[in-house]
Amino acid sequence: MGELGRIHQLLVSIGDYRLAINLEVVVMTWIVIFALVVFGLATSRRRSLLPAPIQVLGEILVSQLYGLTEDALGADLARKYAPLVTALFLFLLVSNWLGIIPHLEEPTKDLNTPLALGLMGFVIAHWAGIRSKGFKAYILEYFQPIFFMLPLNLIGEFAKIVSISFRLFGNIMGGSIIILVVSYLSWNIILPPLLNAFFGLFVGTIQAFVFTMLTVVYIAVQVK
Amino acid sequence: MAIEGADLIKAAAFLGAGIAMGLGAIGPGIGEGMTAAKACEAIGNNPNEAGLLTRTMLVGQAVAESTGIYSLVIALLLLFVV
Amino acid sequence: MQWNPETIVAVAAYTGAGICMGFGAVGAAIGEGYTAAQANHAVSRNTDLSGDIFKNMLVGQAVAESASIFALVIAILLMFLNFQGAPLIKAAALLGAGLCMGLGALGSGIGSGLPGGQACFGIARQPAVTGRLTTNMLIGSAVCQTPAIFAMVVALLLIFIDFSRLPLQPGWAALIGAGLSTGLAAIGSGYGGGVAAGASCEGVARQPLAVGPLTTTMLVGQAVAQTPAIFGLLVSFILLFRGIPASESLAPAMALLSAGLCTGLGGIGPGIGNGQVAGGAVRWVARNSAIAGDLMRVMLVGQAVSQSTAIYAMVVSLVLIFVV
Repeated sequence: MGELGRIHQLLVSIGDYRLAINLEVVVMTWIVIFALVVFGLATSRRRSLLPAPIQVLGEILVSQLYGLTEDALGADLARKYAPLVTALFLFLLVSNWLGIIPHLEEPTKDLNTPLALGLMGFVIAHWAGIRSKGFKAYILEYFQPIFFMLPLNLIGEFAKIVSISFRLFGNIMGGSIIILVVSYLSWNIILPPLLNAFFGLFVGTIQAFVFTMLTVVYIAVQVK
Repeated sequence: MAIEGADLIKAAAFLGAGIAMGLGAIGPGIGEGMTAAKACEAIGNNPNEAGLLTRTMLVGQAVAESTGIYSLVIALLLLFVV
Repeated sequence: MQWNPETIVAVAAYTGAGICMGFGAVGAAIGEGYTAAQANHAVSRNTDLSGDIFKNMLVGQAVAESASIFALVIAILLMFLNFQGAPLIKAAALLGAGLCMGLGALGSGIGSGLPGGQACFGIARQPAVTGRLTTNMLIGSAVCQTPAIFAMVVALLLIFIDFSRLPLQPGWAALIGAGLSTGLAAIGSGYGGGVAAGASCEGVARQPLAVGPLTTTMLVGQAVAQTPAIFGLLVSFILLFRGIPASESLAPAMALLSAGLCTGLGGIGPGIGNGQVAGGAVRWVARNSAIAGDLMRVMLVGQAVSQSTAIYAMVVSLVLIFVV
């Protein structure tokens, strides 16, 4: 079980601080970005009225996610946020699926990736809230329903970042731990691939969708 | 570690206070929740009487709260008097 | 018979892992069973849609499984991390971590199965809104797992923080109390959030046009229903990070353990109650969405009153920690 929690780190010292950079996560994230760029080019390079299969795939993905954003945010805001939502979903999807390829790992297995994405969603949601309601109304929200609810409202907002990022991290980490443990316990070659399919493809897709939808909902709650 | 009689009594009182307030808070929480859920239902049926219904709900909840307050009193007695 | 600290730490780690996975499996299994039962009921009502209902059931169950996956992660960490050379106080921390995650997964596991079941049933009633139902189910189910995630955060802190500077007496009680506080308080909030989410799925099937106000009411109701779990988290953090003076007597230890128990147990009832309020409000937003604002106001007042006992419990805990 020595593989659990073993990572390659790059230590950079800036002044008194020591930054530990997890090299595996960085490389895996680059692989995901590269794959998405290739996919994006392949779907949009040769556009035609009689679309090739890959163009159809891209169009289905974009239109479905656009529809979901429109349901939650309305037509106006959907134009603004649908590209973000689509990009977020595709990034998480490919990240969660990456683990089924041998020797590659999910970048979402490291808490830093979901935490960064959760923080991003949090900042965007609150920025959108200030933009649409005005600063005064935004601040007054925190004193609802009674003024002394302020600390609870603040904790509640920060709890959203914790919950959204730990949910993804826990699910992906749990899936890879189960696969690791089962591969150690059993000598057959049937169970691990099936588990890989369940946790990598099925749970990975659902959690990517949940993360994306929650980001959209947090924006929607702030805007309304 | 020598445990003396007085220390044991204090320890038991503290533990008792926590358990009294903790368990005592379960019932009123659920009961008051049911009251408020029914009040929402009633206001949904008859929105014009919202004020009357809210008043009824608050009085009912206040009565349901009394056992929680008994727990609080006992917990504070255990903490400071015993 | 003499015990060396390493043996006791190992015993605590394995006991904690057992408690964690044992309790953690209960909730999710009940929740998934409820989803499957409702799916069967729905298929019997509308056999043509068995494919859609089956797909939705699988997705709902996969999300409801999360709580027990969190418990599994903590149990595996407790079993396979290397605690050699750890001081005796680590035993209390590991036992507390197991208790926290195991109890914390109970409520969220049961709760996150409720929207799945209602969504399956809703598909049989309103096949045209299958997509909206699935989305609503996923959001509601995911949000009601937040208390279990709080429990996982506290369990991870208990596992990874170095407590060697904490005095053994009464430090052990503070660590077990920290685990109990978040773990127990998460039961009520997790289940309550599930009640609200289930009502929301039922409402979407009843009145698909009201999906906007329904989701908003559900999210606000769930957020308030999570307050008892946040109280539990707060008390856990105070117990974990407040420097505690060493003391030979039993009373301070019991005060700290009791503080954790009090907020934890006290959070169960208000969490469930707040969820029921939110469920009632959401159900009637679907029937009469014109008065969604009024209903939200009454819901918040009712929830605030029903939360008062959780606040009493937290006050008693804070008195136990700071005054006594």
